[in-house]
Amino acid sequence: MKIAVTLRLTPDLTEELELTEDGRDIDREWIGLVLNEFDDQALEQAVLLKEAAGAEVTALAIDGEGVERLLRTALARGADAVRRIPADDAPSSARALTPLYAAAVREIGADLVLAGVLATDDLHGELAPFLAAELGWRQASAVSDVRIEDGDVVVRQEYSGGRAAQLALTLPAVVGLQTASQPPRYVAGSKLRDLLKVEVPEMAVDAAPAATGIEPATLALPDRGAGAEMIEGSADQIAERLHAILVERDMA
Amino acid sequence: MATQTLILLIATLGAVAAAAWRARPWLVPLAHARPANRLDRPWQRLTVVLADIGLHRRLLRIRFSGVMHLMIFTSFLVLFTVIVQAFGAGFFPGFSLEPIGGHTWLAAVQEVFTVVIAAALGMAIWHRFVRRPARFAGSNRRDATTIYALIAAIVVTMLLEWAARIAAGGDPSEPYRPLSAALAGGLGGLGLEGDAAATASSAFYWAHIASILAFLVYIPGSKHRHMFAAAPNIFFRSLAPKGQLPPPPPAGDSDDQPGTVQRFSDFTWKDLLDGLSCTECGRCQAVCPAHGSGAELSPKQLVMDLRDGMTATNERGAAGDSPIAGGTVSTEALWACTTCRACMEVCPLHIEHVPKIVQLRRSLVEEGEIEPMLQDSLTSLQSYGNSFGKSPKQRARWTRGLSFKPKDVRKEAVDVLWFVGDFSSFDPRVQRLTVLVAELLAQAEVDFGILYEGERNSGNDVRRVGDEGLFDLLARHNIAELEGCSFNRILTTDPHSLNALSNEYAALGAHYDVVHHTKFLWELLEAGRLDPVSRSGQIVTYHDPCYLGRYNDEFEAPRRLIRRLGHDLHDMGRCRENSYCCGAGGGRIWMDDSGLAQRPSENRIEEALALEGVTRFVVSCPKDVVMYTAAVQALGVEDRIAVWEIAELLDEALRVPQPGSSAAD
Ligand code: SF4
Ligand code: SF4
Repeated sequence: MKIAVTLRLTPDLTEELELTEDGRDIDREWIGLVLNEFDDQALEQAVLLKEAAGAEVTALAIDGEGVERLLRTALARGADAVRRIPADDAPSSARALTPLYAAAVREIGADLVLAGVLATDDLHGELAPFLAAELGWRQASAVSDVRIEDGDVVVRQEYSGGRAAQLALTLPAVVGLQTASQPPRYVAGSKLRDLLKVEVPEMAVDAAPAATGIEPATLALPDRGAGAEMIEGSADQIAERLHAILVERDMA
Repeated sequence: MATQTLILLIATLGAVAAAAWRARPWLVPLAHARPANRLDRPWQRLTVVLADIGLHRRLLRIRFSGVMHLMIFTSFLVLFTVIVQAFGAGFFPGFSLEPIGGHTWLAAVQEVFTVVIAAALGMAIWHRFVRRPARFAGSNRRDATTIYALIAAIVVTMLLEWAARIAAGGDPSEPYRPLSAALAGGLGGLGLEGDAAATASSAFYWAHIASILAFLVYIPGSKHRHMFAAAPNIFFRSLAPKGQLPPPPPAGDSDDQPGTVQRFSDFTWKDLLDGLSCTECGRCQAVCPAHGSGAELSPKQLVMDLRDGMTATNERGAAGDSPIAGGTVSTEALWACTTCRACMEVCPLHIEHVPKIVQLRRSLVEEGEIEPMLQDSLTSLQSYGNSFGKSPKQRARWTRGLSFKPKDVRKEAVDVLWFVGDFSSFDPRVQRLTVLVAELLAQAEVDFGILYEGERNSGNDVRRVGDEGLFDLLARHNIAELEGCSFNRILTTDPHSLNALSNEYAALGAHYDVVHHTKFLWELLEAGRLDPVSRSGQIVTYHDPCYLGRYNDEFEAPRRLIRRLGHDLHDMGRCRENSYCCGAGGGRIWMDDSGLAQRPSENRIEEALALEGVTRFVVSCPKDVVMYTAAVQALGVEDRIAVWEIAELLDEALRVPQPGSSAAD
């Protein structure tokens, strides 16, 4: 079996975001990029499936700053192969990127795609369903507990109120993963070091980003309106203010 | 050959064979261990052997036990002449120590030391069974008891033999053996005289021989191996800088050489000899902050477990199926160590605990098995080069709080390159102190600069956590950055960075002149470049950071500085080499400390509070600022004691209005 995992780097939200001058994007100049946490889960799940049932895992990512490093880490984590997909001026919307991923998935001949259920720039989890539509494959999203049973992929999908279902999907399929059955493993620095010089191959695909007809007109930073108070200052001042608020509202 | 000689010969050979058999479980692994070259600088090696065995330097740090041990030790040396006499006479009828005073002064000395060893034995028994210090908890009591019994048997049979010989009459040494003579009088009172006494003397002689041989057979399986192992163990100790960890075992192509310590044969012979030398005295356990705070680790237990694991593995004949880390030694114990080195500092045998702990951590990290909270920090370190998960670009953000912009050493030559370190750069609780130090440097017109986003975590604690590859990446990055800069000295406020830069990087071929800010500020004062007004009145105590004091021998500069500023310094009981770790070292600052019975830092603050009148707890390490501020808050004693970084003390003294100015002090 061949498993493809899609990996996305997303802005590190622990840092302060600023907008570009035209207000249509965040300023990426100073921002750190991190692996989308759900993609992290997807990668771990792919490697777990490989260890349990035998599979060949390929990690895919749209090329960009930091992607080589990201893919090397994926190799260290247990992926068998990695590919970076070149895309000029890559749009950030998951929907628009779908044709590129789909072409790559076809080219490597994967039977199963594991994608993170959502990302900070794909909050509604569009990647997995759109990718499945593009490929014409079966799809389930927001799932956990992925297993391979008799050639089917079996997943657990949770609903409100603690209800859940086991779904069996006939391959090929796309899965939008929420959590892997084990937390992502730590990769020792020695493995990263050994991979430092490994070439991360490029895989040009014969596809173009989809035109979605949706463009950001303006972005807005958090509203500093009535209900919200932005606390600023040194750590001490912030702590003091927090304390005051808690006391004020009888929460301390 | 006389029958007696033949019996003695057979008995002795039998005992030697039995002893060798009992030594087999550890002789075999020792023979299969990895090599380690410990023969360089023989004189330096020998002097410490003489100091620590001959003069009991480390042993005497605990007065009672040290004196007791010295009594037993010297008695053994003196009474060894009795053994020589006993076996000499047995094998070569007519052999005698008479020519060297065996019947005169030597006899007298032997008598004296019979009393000395008896007294020491009494002290030992009282100590172990009545006083029972906590450091003995976990030691093998049965082993100790057996040894007391054997020593008592040897001494008593010896004494009885002498007495019976005197009772038989005609013993030339009688005038020199008052104790034996008195005892002979007692025997005579029991009717033991003449031939009967001669027969008894011979019987006691054989009993004496039997107890000596029993002792010989017993020792290889007992902690009393240290009688023979101590001297070589101290002699072959590591002479590498204290702050430089040994590399992991070299990886080979086959699974036999995994590149980490997984089985006992992956340790060096010296690591194994350490275990065989341990006396289970528990001195290491008594000073261990992990043990003291209720964590699962005791350095004594660790050494004992490794030793027992090694011999058990060999006895099973298998190559050791269960891994050492997580099997013989629990992972919790391994993660609990702060690498403070207090254990190594007190161990009379110079046993090296920390390198073993780190070797075993390395085997865990390589498998991806790490302490749960640690993963976040290490992942951050991998991605960003700092444990805070901040982009490298934000490293110099603290400089925004400055009245000037520090030079970028990557672009301009400077006299002093300031290696700022992670906590000073990123932790909001420490940043204000970083700003303060920078202003002090500017005030003293120091030509300094920083690496800005070129700096990475020094890797000191990363190495101690066991991630050798990540340490290598971080260290080589910093070394490459430093290579492109022109400077004379490196300054740092962080003892951990100091240790890596001066000791660990040296092993990678990079040598720097690194100075801690306590010393550097002192130099500025001495040179008159900063001129604080000293004002007395504050009673303060000072905490020696492990990586400044114990690891890098800087005890004086901070103390001079504190006194020069006019403060009254009261040291805590555990100070200098015996300082008590704050609990943050060895990567512990990145791990979960919520399960501890009492955090070491809180224990330490309590120690300071017990000092009369102390209101300031002075520190000289960014991590100490964080740890102790939290400890003071956790104990709710903010009104009694405050944590002061040493630079703050200096800053305060510089702000005092000069005499003659109108403002009141
Ligand atoms: S280094 Fe410190 S924490 Fe670790 S075992 Fe030794 S005394 Fe305990
Ligand atoms: S390791 Fe050293 S200090 Fe600790 S119990 Fe053994 S001999 Fe004593």
